Amino acid sequence: MPAIEISDLTKTFRTKRKAAGLQASLASLFRPQYQSVEAVRQLSFEMEQGELLGFIGPNGAGKSTTIKILTGILFPTSGEARVLGFVPWKQRQRLAYHIGTVFGQRPQLWYHLPAIDTFNLFGKIYEMDDRETKRRIQYLAEAFEIQNLLETPVRKLSLGQRMRCEVAASLIHKPKLLLLDEPSIGLDVVAKQHIRDSIRDMANRENVGVLLTSHDAGDLEALCKRVIIVNHGQIVYQDKVSALKRAYLTSKLIEVRYAQQVAEDFHIRGTETIKVAKERYGVKLKFDTEKTPVEKVMAAISAAGTLVDITISDPPLEEVIAAIYEMGERR
Amino acid sequence: MRKHWTIFKIGLVNSLAYPAELIMRSGMILIFMWVFFQLWRVTFASSGSETINGLSLRDTMWYLLLAETLELGRPRLARTISDQVKDGSIAYILNKPYHFLLYQFSNGLGESLPRMASLFLLGAGLVWSMAGPPPPLANWPLAFLALAFAWILHFCVNCLIGLAAFIAEEVAPFEWIYQKLVFILGGMLIPLDFYPAWLQTIARSLPFAYMMYGPARLFVRPDPVLTGQIYLGQAIWLLVLTGILILAFHRGMRRLAINGG
Repeated sequence: MPAIEISDLTKTFRTKRKAAGLQASLASLFRPQYQSVEAVRQLSFEMEQGELLGFIGPNGAGKSTTIKILTGILFPTSGEARVLGFVPWKQRQRLAYHIGTVFGQRPQLWYHLPAIDTFNLFGKIYEMDDRETKRRIQYLAEAFEIQNLLETPVRKLSLGQRMRCEVAASLIHKPKLLLLDEPSIGLDVVAKQHIRDSIRDMANRENVGVLLTSHDAGDLEALCKRVIIVNHGQIVYQDKVSALKRAYLTSKLIEVRYAQQVAEDFHIRGTETIKVAKERYGVKLKFDTEKTPVEKVMAAISAAGTLVDITISDPPLEEVIAAIYEMGERR
Repeated sequence: MRKHWTIFKIGLVNSLAYPAELIMRSGMILIFMWVFFQLWRVTFASSGSETINGLSLRDTMWYLLLAETLELGRPRLARTISDQVKDGSIAYILNKPYHFLLYQFSNGLGESLPRMASLFLLGAGLVWSMAGPPPPLANWPLAFLALAFAWILHFCVNCLIGLAAFIAEEVAPFEWIYQKLVFILGGMLIPLDFYPAWLQTIARSLPFAYMMYGPARLFVRPDPVLTGQIYLGQAIWLLVLTGILILAFHRGMRRLAINGG
C-alpha cells in the first residue's frame, strides 16, 4: 500500500476582491465581489512507504495547501486522497496517530515552557505509556542532539535549536510518515546541515516516509531521492533527483587558477568566460557538455598555461529549478 | 480523558509561567471594585434604604465581585481561535488525535483557573474591608457550581464566535457585541433585580443571565425557587449551545481556510 495516493485533487479558495480607495471600500460593503483561486489543480501522484520525496515549488504553488489536505485539516474541493490508507478529511483523528507534521514557520512547542513539557504532553496525546514516552524522549534527544536543550524554555532557544526540538517532537509517537513543510526556513548553513542530517538518519533508522516541501534546493539534494515540482497547483516535473540533475545539469562550471597571468579577454573555444579575476590569475568558465566535449575543454585549459588549481562543479540546483518553473509558466 | 487532563495541566502550568504578571493583571479588579463601591454607596445612600429590591450594599458588592471574577478570568477564546486561524497555528491543533473543542476546553480551563482564583482572592480582600464579610459558607457550593456551568456557557458562546473565524477571520466585532450583551442583559454591571420587571423578563429568557447573574445572585441571596430556575435555565442553554457548537464545528471544518499557504 502506498503511503500517499492522490488523484485529481483540487482545492479552490473563494477570496474577496476589493479595489483600492474609499469609494471601492464602501461599494464592497453593499456589493462584495469574490474570486476563486485554485490553489491545487487536479494533482495526482503516489508516494511509497519509507520514501523521501521532495515537493517543491515557488510561493503560492499549492505545496502547503496540499500538505494541509493530506493531514485532514483542509477539505478538498474535488478529487481523492489516501494517506496510509485513510481518507484524511474523513478520518483526521485516526490518521493523526500515524503521521508527524512540522510547519517550519509555526511553532508547535509551548513557547513559555521547556520543550520536555510539550514532549510529555504529546506522549499523553498519542496515548503512549509513560515509560515508553521517557525512553522515546531519550532516544530522540540523542538523535537530534538536544539533551541539553530539553529543560530550557522554548522562547530562549535559537531558531536552529528550536527546529531540532520541533522535528523531534513530531517523531515522538513513531509516525510512519513525516510531513515537513519548510523545516529549514530561516536557518543558517550549519543549522540547516544539522537538521538535514538528523532527519535523514531518523528516516533511515525507522523507515519513516518523508514528504518535504522546501524552497531550498539544498534540502532536496541532501534528503530526497525523488522530486515533484509544482507550480500554480499543478505538477510541472517529477522524477528522481539524480535524473533531474542528469537532464538539466548539462552545463558545468570550471574555476581555474594559473601560475602566470592570463589575458584580460581570456577565452576558450566552446566555453563562455564568466569572469576573469582582478589580478588575472583566476578565470571562471561555463560550458554545455552536450555541445562541447569535456576532454576538449580540459585540453584547451591545460594548453593555456600552467595550472595551479582547478574545480569543476554543477550550477546551483536553484537555477535548474527556476528554469523548470519558467517552463511551467510557458505551458 | 487522560489526554485532556494533561492538556488542562499544561494550560495551568503555562498560565503560571509568569506569576508576577498574573498578580499584576489581577490587580485591576481592585480598581473596578473600588469604583463600584463608590458608585453603589452613593446609590444606596440616596435611596434612603438598607436594601434595594432585596439586596444590600454588601450583597451588591459580593455579587459584583463574583461577576467580575468570571468576566475578567474567563478565557478570551474567540480571539485565541481567530489568532490561530490568522497565523496558521491552528494546523497544529487540528492535526492531533483529540477533539478540537475538548482541547480548547481543557486548555482554556487550565489557563482560566489561576486567573480567576487570583482575581477573586485579591478582590475579596478589598470588598471585605470596604463592604463587610462575605456571604455565609452555606451559599458557596451552589454558587460555585453555577459558576462552573456559567463558565461552560461562556466557553460555548466564545467558541462559536471563534469558529466564525473559520469563515470570516475577523471576529472582534462579534466579540464586542457579545461582551456588551453580557454587561447589560447578563447583569454584570447592575444586578438584574434592579431592572424594571419587563426588562428582567426579557433578560431571564436569554442565556446571558445564566452566564453571569445566576451564579452571582446565588452567592449572595440564594432561595430554593431561584436556585431551581437558574440551574434549569443553565441546563437548557447548555444543551442548546453545545448542540449548536458541535454542529457549527463540523460545518466550519468544511469551510476552513488557513492563512500561510
